[in-house]
Amino acid sequence: MFDKVLIANRGEIAVRIIRACREFGIKTVAVHSTADAEAMHARLADESVCIGPPAPRESYLNIPAIIAAGEITNANAIHPGYGFLSESADFATIVEEHGFIFIGPSPTHISLMGDKIRAKQTAAELGLPVVPGSADALEDAASIAEAADEIGYPVLIKAVAGGGGRGMKRVDSREELAMAAATARAEAEAAFGNDALYLEKLVAAPRHIEVQVLADQFGSAVHLGERDCSLQRRHQKVLEEAPSPALDAEAREEIGSRVSAAVRELGYRGVGTLEFLYEDGNFYFMEMNTRIQVEHPVTEMITGIDLVQEQIRVAAGEPLAFGQDDIRFEGHSIECRITAEDPDTFRPSPGTVSGYHTPGGPGVRVDSALYDGYRIPPYYDSLISKVIAQASSRDACLMRLRRALEEYVIQGVSTTIPLHLRLLASQAFAESAYDIHWFERFVTETGAGNDA
Amino acid sequence: MAVKPVPDPRPEEPEPMFGPDIELIRALAAVLDEANLSEIEIGEGESRIRIARQATVAAAPAPAPRPAAVEPVPAEEAPPAPVADDASHPGAVISPLVGVVYVASEPGGRPFVTVGDEISEGDTLFIVEAMKTMNPVRAPSGGRVTRILAENGARVEYGEVLLILE
Repeated sequence: MFDKVLIANRGEIAVRIIRACREFGIKTVAVHSTADAEAMHARLADESVCIGPPAPRESYLNIPAIIAAGEITNANAIHPGYGFLSESADFATIVEEHGFIFIGPSPTHISLMGDKIRAKQTAAELGLPVVPGSADALEDAASIAEAADEIGYPVLIKAVAGGGGRGMKRVDSREELAMAAATARAEAEAAFGNDALYLEKLVAAPRHIEVQVLADQFGSAVHLGERDCSLQRRHQKVLEEAPSPALDAEAREEIGSRVSAAVRELGYRGVGTLEFLYEDGNFYFMEMNTRIQVEHPVTEMITGIDLVQEQIRVAAGEPLAFGQDDIRFEGHSIECRITAEDPDTFRPSPGTVSGYHTPGGPGVRVDSALYDGYRIPPYYDSLISKVIAQASSRDACLMRLRRALEEYVIQGVSTTIPLHLRLLASQAFAESAYDIHWFERFVTETGAGNDA
Repeated sequence: MAVKPVPDPRPEEPEPMFGPDIELIRALAAVLDEANLSEIEIGEGESRIRIARQATVAAAPAPAPRPAAVEPVPAEEAPPAPVADDASHPGAVISPLVGVVYVASEPGGRPFVTVGDEISEGDTLFIVEAMKTMNPVRAPSGGRVTRILAENGARVEYGEVLLILE
């Protein structure tokens, strides 16, 4: 096992990783920007190193500074967390070249899954269901039209280098196609410096269901069930739960075993998540995230497996200590992402936390880097806390989560806690009657003024 | 159902230090960089936004005492915390990157500078080693070296004060 791990991240995930290390008796090194000198991760780690000014590209994305911090502190391994450099194959390569262990998959797998087209081709080759679409980047209007005819309308035009919805266009008929393709190309060029496009069949009203996998370096791979992340706003997940109310045990086992077989064949190591659209009983592979995810706690709560510790164990070269048959799913878990934003307008609300009280009691977990007096800087993501509840059934979990959110006090900044309380009180959520577009409508329909 | 044991979590008054207008803050920060200023303050009506560089971070008031549970054991070789006075000194020369600082070009060699030296802008003061590369730290302006804080072979963080010029 490692003596010392450097955490190349900040906020709640850095704290989460420090906790996992501490329970293993591993010393921790936090890196931080000048804006984060008093941040919880820098305070909690055994050592902390200031690596640059507030701007992420000069600190948390500054590869030479992070490597130098690892060198001066004699760290053995580097954990990238999520976001920042977690899915940079270059970073993973440089980490390894400098004699550190990268706590994550091989750079080859990171770059394979980072390329959306290659990822989808690979998934199809590994026997996973994919959305019908063009196999390659489409160069001209004629080949786009031909591909769209073959797939059948409605289709979705997507940017090869895409993400976050940019360069993405829905097209319902051939008449709209040329215009939409030209717009998407311009958007893709502007946003990503790469105007390559591809086409997919539009899956109109699916749920977002993702499968958690864990694999060691010796060919063992298991799945840890699914998470339902259908509640999203602008392609950002808002609330996640496990198991998905839309799947039964049979469907779960079916997709789970296909995914773990695929991951085994790929020779993947570490934790990973395969995201699918799910509609009318069919799964469609979207992408694979080659890192720990924000919503990993709900899986931990229903399986009792610490995913961050397993990730560290695998990186340290240990074999998995359990097989698929040892994994049991117990009860239900839901996570709410609390952001420092106005709950109605979503205007960011950085500032000083002037009063702080966390919920507790049975089945409640809070993953956060907040503390009383903490100054939330304006330079980074607005996610400030994750409230996770676990209970024997979904209904009991909803009540517990509501109770926990009502206990939670964060003074001095606006948070999305009121929005989550409104969501938990809604009939559609209680009945699990929603697709990935439902939450945006919910926000608009029940927003500012309607619940005053 | 549940009775709130605590006050309303969302008071009305905004946090005065941080305007919520991130775009404005970003724009100001860019101006700060571009013009190489150390501070910008603008006001409009009742709200004011002040953006200052790095130096104010170290010069900020001492943090509140840490909760006992999270008190980390200080690492043996931890670099000395920058003293607020040094960091805000107008002649402070800071480390531009994380690494190991050397005062001479070779082990046991003559130091680049000693206290009392008159130096010119651009003179090499130290070398900071990071990722096996040697990065010179040059004098941002001419002056007399009044204090040297960097110790040969010590680890330095970004922004740590290495030397004071007057």
